[in-house]
Amino acid sequence: MSYPDESMSGKNHLLETLINSDELYHTAPCGYFSLSTKGEIIKINHTLLHWLGFSEQELLGTKFAALLPKGGQMHFEMFFLPMVKVDGGVKELSYELLKKDGNSLSTLLNANTILDKNGYIKAVNVVVVDVTERKNYERELLNAKSLAENEQKRLEFMADLAPEMIWTASSTGRINYVNARFCQYFNCTKNETRSSFILSKIHQLDIKKLLTSWYACQTGGSDLNETIRLVNQEGNYEWHQIKASLFVDNHGEQINWFGSCTNVEEHISQLKKKDEFINIASHELKTPLTSLKAILQLMQRMKGETSERMLSLIEKANHNISRVTEMVEDLLNTSQMNDGQLRLSKSNFNVVEMIGSCVHHIRVEDHYKIITEGDKSISVYADESRIEQVVTNFITNAMKYAPESYLIKINIENVEGFVRITVSDEGPGIPAEKTPHLFDRYYQINTTGGKYSGLGLGLFICAEIVKQHGGEIGVESTVGSGSSFWFTLPL
Amino acid sequence: MQQSVLIRNNVNVIGKGNQVMLFAHGFGCDQNAWQFIIDGFTADYKVVLFDYTGSGKSDIGQYDSNKYSKLDGYAQDVLEICEALALTNVIFVGHSVSCMIGLLAANQKPEYFSKLVFVGPSARYLNEGDYFGGFEKADLENLFDFMDSNYLGWSSKMAPAIMGNPDRPALGGFLTESFCSTDPKVARDFARVTFFSDNRADLSKLKIKSLTLQCADDIIAPNSVGEFVYQHTPGNEIVFLEATGHCPHISEPEETIRAIKTFIT
Repeated sequence: MSYPDESMSGKNHLLETLINSDELYHTAPCGYFSLSTKGEIIKINHTLLHWLGFSEQELLGTKFAALLPKGGQMHFEMFFLPMVKVDGGVKELSYELLKKDGNSLSTLLNANTILDKNGYIKAVNVVVVDVTERKNYERELLNAKSLAENEQKRLEFMADLAPEMIWTASSTGRINYVNARFCQYFNCTKNETRSSFILSKIHQLDIKKLLTSWYACQTGGSDLNETIRLVNQEGNYEWHQIKASLFVDNHGEQINWFGSCTNVEEHISQLKKKDEFINIASHELKTPLTSLKAILQLMQRMKGETSERMLSLIEKANHNISRVTEMVEDLLNTSQMNDGQLRLSKSNFNVVEMIGSCVHHIRVEDHYKIITEGDKSISVYADESRIEQVVTNFITNAMKYAPESYLIKINIENVEGFVRITVSDEGPGIPAEKTPHLFDRYYQINTTGGKYSGLGLGLFICAEIVKQHGGEIGVESTVGSGSSFWFTLPL
Repeated sequence: MQQSVLIRNNVNVIGKGNQVMLFAHGFGCDQNAWQFIIDGFTADYKVVLFDYTGSGKSDIGQYDSNKYSKLDGYAQDVLEICEALALTNVIFVGHSVSCMIGLLAANQKPEYFSKLVFVGPSARYLNEGDYFGGFEKADLENLFDFMDSNYLGWSSKMAPAIMGNPDRPALGGFLTESFCSTDPKVARDFARVTFFSDNRADLSKLKIKSLTLQCADDIIAPNSVGEFVYQHTPGNEIVFLEATGHCPHISEPEETIRAIKTFIT
């Protein structure tokens, strides 16, 4: 191989300048210095002197530690020197060096040792890299990180305040965040989210259902929506609706589940009550209809006859029809009330007169004594037939549930701008724990005994009528001495 | 229990001899710091080396930030090692913060120890009133900054911060390859416990003979700090070494070995 003379000499010249060790040492794009075993600077290059603003004379023979703030000196003594001696060097230690003008220079230090023939350290050589720019970026990135962390804290704070349980899970289903509500419900810490812990809170019969649909959602990418039972702190199962969406990133990767968990126990128990009610109502309606069917069959066989027996059958048929009608009426009333369609047609009427006409309609069986007492002059502006319905209901209830009580007292009084009408019996009374539910829909004081018939809608309808009028309804009862049902209407 | 302490603190027992020497490293590093002087003792002594929980090759999983929020927690490590190995009559050699850890251990269980050697002790690093510890609070905050920027330097602090994955072991502690490979969080806690501790009142309770080895030109534990320990500790002797700096056992092993041997034989 041969080179033209000219270019050969040019290359040699270039190489000479490159490997001119002295020039390379002093003008290198990094700082060099060497330390004695006592930590004094024994050699230093021009680049570093230039960066620091010192002259060679000012630094040669001085301790390197003098270029450090006091905390740095401690670090140098406790880390740099021991590491150099034990490990034979250091890599990328981050140090702030003090410049002559008092500012600091962000650097990374790399060092190794020069050993004598016995293996003792003769000197320490150090390379200094200026990382000012890098430090600035680092600061910016750390700021950005702390901003992001604050934002996350803010979101978690909001999630904690939400009335629902909120959670996130990895795409594989490992729960990785739960809000404060979750911890309150299960009485656990935020870290207590192992799969086994979560699974232990789900009703045995619901686990399979949940896992199956979770898996299906994960493979199909659809949202999760399941209603399952979770056990609360008291050990009772409550129905919860679990909803979750899978967050998918720009590349179609499944990242995280975002989910909520709402307590729907109230809702579910309402539905259950409704089902029970429909069951009861069907039976209640069926009873008079069955009788009616039997009566009609008898009457068919007896057609043409006009006997005493026929007349009694017709009366029984009428009675059954009116029971069905009553119940259908109640059902209609209830559904009207549900839709908020109960319309009142108000007029002025005298309360005692209204009660008188109720009592007149009811008084079929002679052994009841109904007494009306109190302020007989009071008139109200209300829907007379609806209020009559309430009073009638109170009186028939007294007859039905307190059949041994022959005295029914009705009291009318003026209480602070309201007329208060009370219907009292001397029957067995109602246990205190049952009174709060008396005016609930679908509530029957005794559905198991089957002793009383009816849909149990009466008091609910009464309460709705009174509420529509802006009044209140209630009951006071003592077991063994009787009950007083009352309602008020504004005057 | 015994075995678990030995694993927790990476305890190593070497050397011939019955008399036990227990070497306790200082803040920041681990038992390797003793490598230059232990050869001077292994021929005649049973040498016990260990790493404090959270330092070196100890079991970081056992680090309990509550226990180690005081030097007493570290003194407990020392006592537990003595119990696990059934050590008595121990010559305890402690460097830097380990001097006070050894003192606390010996005050609690004097029956375990026969002599204490303090290498570069300080009963309090912060200046207070007439007491000169050598440091103001700002100096220490400055040290903590230096530590943070090294333990959590560019590579180890920023990479996980950007990638949001601090658990990735490959990006772990910056100094993992070094013998100063304390876990960053532990190091930060240990530094605070060390430099904010005040053990001046404990000195007078010591009932065991002790030696203070004072280096020249030690910025961590200057002369007056070593002299304070000497003056306030009953039965303490002080030797001023020619070695400079804070780690005579690393920088001047022979002189350090001589001074310790003179005291213990």
